[in-house]
Amino acid sequence: MTRARALIKKQLAEVFAWLYRDMKKGTRRTGAALVLYGVLYAVMYTALGAMFYGMGMMLSPMIEAGYAWLYMALTGLVGLFMGVFGSVFNTYATLYNAKDNELMLSLPVPTRLILASRLTGVCAIGLLYELIVMIPTNIVYLIHAKPGVLGVIFTLIIPIVLSFIVLGLSCILGWVVALIASRLKGKSYITVILSLAFIVAYYAFYSRVIIAIKAIVENPGPVSEGVKIWAWPFRHMGLAAEGNALSMLIFTGTAFLLFGAVYLVLSRSFISIITTKRGEKKVVYSRGEAKTASPDSALLRREFKRFTSSPTYMLNCGLGIIMMPAAAAAMLIFNSNIREVLSLFAAEHKSAIPLVAAAVICFAATMNNITSPSISLEGKYFWIIQSLPLSLARVLFAKLKMHLILTYIPAIPLAAALIWLISPYMSSPLDALIVLLPSALLILFMALAGLCLNIRFHNFEWSSEAVPVKRSLSVTLSVFGGWLVVAGLTALYVLAGRFLPALAYAAIAAVILGAAAAIMLRYVASVESLD
Amino acid sequence: MLRIENLTKTYGDKKAVDGLSLHIAPGEICAFIGHNGAGKTTTLKSCCGILKFDSGEIYIGGKSIKTDPLGCKEQIAYLPDNPDLYEFMTGIGYLNFIADIFGVPAETRTERIHRYSDLLGLTADLAQSVSAYSHGMKQKLAVISALIHDPKLILMDEPFVGLDPKASHQLRELLRELCDGGTAIFFSTHILETAERLCDRVAIIKNGRLVVAGEMEEVRGDASLEDVFLELENTDKPADTDSADAEITDDTNPEAGK
Repeated sequence: MTRARALIKKQLAEVFAWLYRDMKKGTRRTGAALVLYGVLYAVMYTALGAMFYGMGMMLSPMIEAGYAWLYMALTGLVGLFMGVFGSVFNTYATLYNAKDNELMLSLPVPTRLILASRLTGVCAIGLLYELIVMIPTNIVYLIHAKPGVLGVIFTLIIPIVLSFIVLGLSCILGWVVALIASRLKGKSYITVILSLAFIVAYYAFYSRVIIAIKAIVENPGPVSEGVKIWAWPFRHMGLAAEGNALSMLIFTGTAFLLFGAVYLVLSRSFISIITTKRGEKKVVYSRGEAKTASPDSALLRREFKRFTSSPTYMLNCGLGIIMMPAAAAAMLIFNSNIREVLSLFAAEHKSAIPLVAAAVICFAATMNNITSPSISLEGKYFWIIQSLPLSLARVLFAKLKMHLILTYIPAIPLAAALIWLISPYMSSPLDALIVLLPSALLILFMALAGLCLNIRFHNFEWSSEAVPVKRSLSVTLSVFGGWLVVAGLTALYVLAGRFLPALAYAAIAAVILGAAAAIMLRYVASVESLD
Repeated sequence: MLRIENLTKTYGDKKAVDGLSLHIAPGEICAFIGHNGAGKTTTLKSCCGILKFDSGEIYIGGKSIKTDPLGCKEQIAYLPDNPDLYEFMTGIGYLNFIADIFGVPAETRTERIHRYSDLLGLTADLAQSVSAYSHGMKQKLAVISALIHDPKLILMDEPFVGLDPKASHQLRELLRELCDGGTAIFFSTHILETAERLCDRVAIIKNGRLVVAGEMEEVRGDASLEDVFLELENTDKPADTDSADAEITDDTNPEAGK
């Protein structure tokens, strides 16, 4: 019992480390910092819960219409989705890819106890995510359905029972993730593609969810038939919330059956799961003459390899690479709608149209913040660069080059699409210069600003690359600074546009950005070491 | 080849290295021995320009690491105690990157890569990602990358850790061969037997101060190196660098004879 308690305590401490440990410094938060973070997470949790409370309120007419069970079934399915997808990567990390698996196996602890402690952690995380949906929607249910005593008791128990289904499905999905992670080639690209697909699907779902809820509320019949056939345990979950003891028994039995089956499979194969390293297929080296490259080309290639090896880096700092061509494609597809808006705008501000196009490119280009974590990302590898006969400036310029290549090239189709769209409103070919020159210089300015910020605020001490990529000061300043610069330049034109022709304003903006870039370029070239 | 003059490096209040002077001539192989935290890694990192030091000077091939760091780095290879190599590259990709930086011609690098990787038994794994390498394989790759540009001075921090017995033996042979060819080698180790068998010279550091430095035979006398080391560790003898200063054999020091 003492062992079980110690293992579960260790597991929960590990799972909830984000709450009380400073991941950047690797130290335990104490006092005010602990309270502050506790409050911050509580606010975030409540804010998310409020969103689902809204969803519950939108679905609540179903309760009054006699479909209380369907309300519970649908919110339960949303809770299940939230719990499984929220916990699946944690399941992968703590169950299948835990760093202390071998240490645990070497201890005089039965395997089933190790598994049980791991599952406790997984269950806690799943429940945490699931409750974001279940607490507010159940409150709505209790207010509107006013079930009897048994109904209230069952409604309170249901989220706990549901967490066993979440646990079972999360274990299965986590296993699939582990299998993909160990077998797949080009994982970085696939992760990026899947993440983008998820973002697109999320926004597509989010934009249609209100319409869908309204449709369900107005006509719940077909959905209720679907739930009865395809998600029958959730029908029983809904009926249980109304106080039906038999349905509660069926729902609980189903949840425990699923969990029991998963536990049985896992307990029988846990040792082989955690000790088998599948690995990728071994690539055999074939002898041949090596290809040479200049030191600058080698450094640039190194930067590209670093960038493309990290989905976190690509997704957080290089979204513009995909978004700019995607925006260009969208402009071509919806050109007639955009031209309609343009014609309305042109009636009073025709000369400003090229500047608006430049602002669009600038805003899109600020999605790329490739240089801003690039120095910190050297991390534990920085000794290599330090011990090589290379000036630091040369290394920094390679980072700058990659940012420029990965931003200028995707900006070309966007600029071309914009120029094509606004061509009817261009008075001379010089107007194309208004589109291109400030945006080209802003891209250079942003790349250099990111680099300078990371020179000033670099951090080589991190255990997860999410720290320099997502939570560093240089990236935060670079993202918000970029928006501020573009917004500031736009606001300045709104104020000065009456007195200055667009071409003159573009020239002034280009001179300001160019001068700032030149100063930063000089600074980067002069950096000898990072202290 | 390597001339360290009064090197001092502090971290906060703690003096990690305190007035260390040491000279290593071309063709010499010197073991650097000391307890954990004695200042070995700090000294080695200072020599290859990774760490800035508070006072003193370090010359490599007559060039100062302070005023001409790139000139110094052209001549050296450094192997850290924990070889964190680019995990986003393959083994061969990493070797080619290092060779590109040093401008090693295609034919020469191909010959060296194959020679050293055959010797250490890594050739079949060169196309694998470094992330799939074991500690020992990374160590082997780091050794090959250190030798790819034919350095005049090799600085190594615990080079034998993680190597299998065969690779360890091959590395010892290789280091001896390189020394015979005129390369200077300065490495830290806790394996005193290896140091005793391999090295011409030995330097023992204690609490940041050089306690003994000299020819292996002289330092050891009739005892074993382990006996000498343990005796020094158990005494509170203050730093005695006289023997180190007496061993100036470096003829590339620009200030020699002044």
